[in-house]
Amino acid sequence: MTLFLQAVADGLQMGLLYALVAVGLTIIWGLMEMINFAHGEFMMLGMFGAWGLSVSLGWDPLVSMVPLAVIMYGAGVLVYRLLMRRVQRGEIFTQIFATVGLFFFIQNGAVAVFTSDYRFVEKSWLTGLSGAHITLGDVRIGVPLLVGGLIALALFLILYLLIDRTDFGLALQATSEDRDAAMLVGIRPQRMYAVAWGLGTALVAIAGVILANFFAVYPQAGLSFTVLAYAIVALGGFGSILGTLMAALVVGVVQSVTAAYLPPAFKDAFVFGSYILIGLLRPQGLFGRF
Amino acid sequence: MRIHRIITVIGAAIGVLSLVALSGSSAVRAQAPVSEVLIGELLPLTGNFASLGQQYLWAGQTVEDIVNNDYPDLKVPLGPGKGFPGLGGAKMTLVVRDDQSRGDQARTLAEQLITVNKVHWLNGEGTSGNTSIIQPLVESYGIPMSCHPCASPTLTEKGFKWFWRTGPNDSVMVASVFQFLKEWPAHGGPTTLKTIALFTCDNLFCQDNRKIAADLAEKSGFKIVADLTTKTGATTLASEVQRLQSANPDVLFYVQYPAETTVFQADAKRAGFMPKVIATSNGAYSDQTWLNAQKANNGAAAWLGRDPTAIDLASRKPSWKQVNDIYKKYSRGQDMGELSMREITGLLWMADTINRAKSVEPAALAKAANETNMTPDVMIIDYKGIKFNQNRQNELATGVVTQVGWDNEKHTIWPWELAKQAGFKTIFPAPGWQERDSKK
Repeated sequence: MTLFLQAVADGLQMGLLYALVAVGLTIIWGLMEMINFAHGEFMMLGMFGAWGLSVSLGWDPLVSMVPLAVIMYGAGVLVYRLLMRRVQRGEIFTQIFATVGLFFFIQNGAVAVFTSDYRFVEKSWLTGLSGAHITLGDVRIGVPLLVGGLIALALFLILYLLIDRTDFGLALQATSEDRDAAMLVGIRPQRMYAVAWGLGTALVAIAGVILANFFAVYPQAGLSFTVLAYAIVALGGFGSILGTLMAALVVGVVQSVTAAYLPPAFKDAFVFGSYILIGLLRPQGLFGRF
Repeated sequence: MRIHRIITVIGAAIGVLSLVALSGSSAVRAQAPVSEVLIGELLPLTGNFASLGQQYLWAGQTVEDIVNNDYPDLKVPLGPGKGFPGLGGAKMTLVVRDDQSRGDQARTLAEQLITVNKVHWLNGEGTSGNTSIIQPLVESYGIPMSCHPCASPTLTEKGFKWFWRTGPNDSVMVASVFQFLKEWPAHGGPTTLKTIALFTCDNLFCQDNRKIAADLAEKSGFKIVADLTTKTGATTLASEVQRLQSANPDVLFYVQYPAETTVFQADAKRAGFMPKVIATSNGAYSDQTWLNAQKANNGAAAWLGRDPTAIDLASRKPSWKQVNDIYKKYSRGQDMGELSMREITGLLWMADTINRAKSVEPAALAKAANETNMTPDVMIIDYKGIKFNQNRQNELATGVVTQVGWDNEKHTIWPWELAKQAGFKTIFPAPGWQERDSKK
């Protein structure tokens, strides 16, 4: 029983981090219906940003998170204005290939600049807490991952309020649902798309900054998370912030519990298996609407 | 009449195709003197194995530099003098291609290097899995190929005639670890190590290690209490750590890459898991960037593993220092790790082979390669020499066992005569996480 409870607790903690990685994709892909295969590369840039500021200026990632989020917001807007706006009205494959190209450009650019060495954020508040844990019965909950998860949860709450409870969020949703109708009521769709790209990019970069405390920083770091993020967005229901959170928790727990009892090499297969199962029962995802 | 014409056309077409095919084959390749020797360097410079690929590229650039420039005091093959004297001073030129760590790309690029770039020797791919994909292709074209850091035994056991490896394979190196564990009690080591857990990733390299270790563990009298394989690219290993902790092994045989090792360390630290011995094989243990990063938190202290050379002793050789200085010109200041040393040793052997062959004809190169009998005094690594068996595996490549000390450097602990020279006291048991933190 302890093994099971520990696996659930571990899965929930990882799920919160997965949610933060996936939520940017929810906005760009789920809400605005634009494919972005370079999503994980923005996360990787966030990781490198945290590492770079830690090494050069001694900034803690929790501090550098703010300026990096602003910079990456700008980068997201720029990517939309320079690239995605031009391919938006074309075939869906044009979007796919544009972002696949962006994926290679960013990743190979990182290899050229940083080399493929593994880097590590060695001194930060969260790495200083490594090994610290809270015990609930026989279950150990690691403090660093818990703090990371709580930051993710707080950002989710802010984002949920922003998207569901503000005029800006409603304008974003209106643009997604009917671009022409949105224009009739004075919403500027191009601006909404640019903001969505900026927001999505900033959020995944924040995820990268937090993850840099726990994972090796290297140019290919984003890929494993991107694959999971796509499954999470589809599982949660396209465009649903709450759905993304719940789906990420499901993915975290499925990964963790299956690895505790079954051959661990197949744990991602169980994640995608659960996606297929939920897809059969509820094709629109957990919280999606048709 | 019409049938006659058709037969004539088909015959002519077959003739033209035959000529085209033959012109690309080794049999009728032109014998003209060469001004440069083309070496195809097929490497994973981007993608999952890019950190390995870049080390091999720097190693290749180092050897290209050594061959093409005059280093009068450097006691390695082709150190003194410029170019290949056996080929009238021809220069060595690397033709580098990046396969993005993908087997399908590796195959396509290997074919291009052979048919379009007309390389005289193909070196790569740097990982055993992708190398095994391109081996049959290279064999069909009949040009020499090598992969020196690739350690999968299967690469040389398939009987390919055009593949050579100077480095030791996993059978040799993993056997070193188990030989050490077996002999350790007689040299003052613990007598209480009875159980072992295997924890490996899922690619060819890891699984070869796992199979060899499982076999040797049983033969050495260990009881295997857990055998877990994980997917490469894991984002969490918390449950796996729980299972290992429940199994409570005395020895953990661990083969994972640096990214996964970082995840493992964080999860093991949170769970408070630390077996008495962590024995590893390549992967993170061979990655210089991972080893450097452990200095901040003593994360690798007491990890022991197989290495192809006693790196603490090899670095005392004057030629090692000179080659390392050249290597640092390309590696942005990083020292050679053991993977780079294996690759440089192999590429210098290749250069020596080409020079002895006095030709770039595949048959002449193969003959020179098979006749190799290189002595240790011209190497930067401490193999007993280079001499190939019938499978073109260097039978004099040896394995040693090293352990990371509290100084976060590797020290030789087996074979015993080398361990005596190194003068290092083996750390046992592996310290817990608190002790590591307290010694920061």
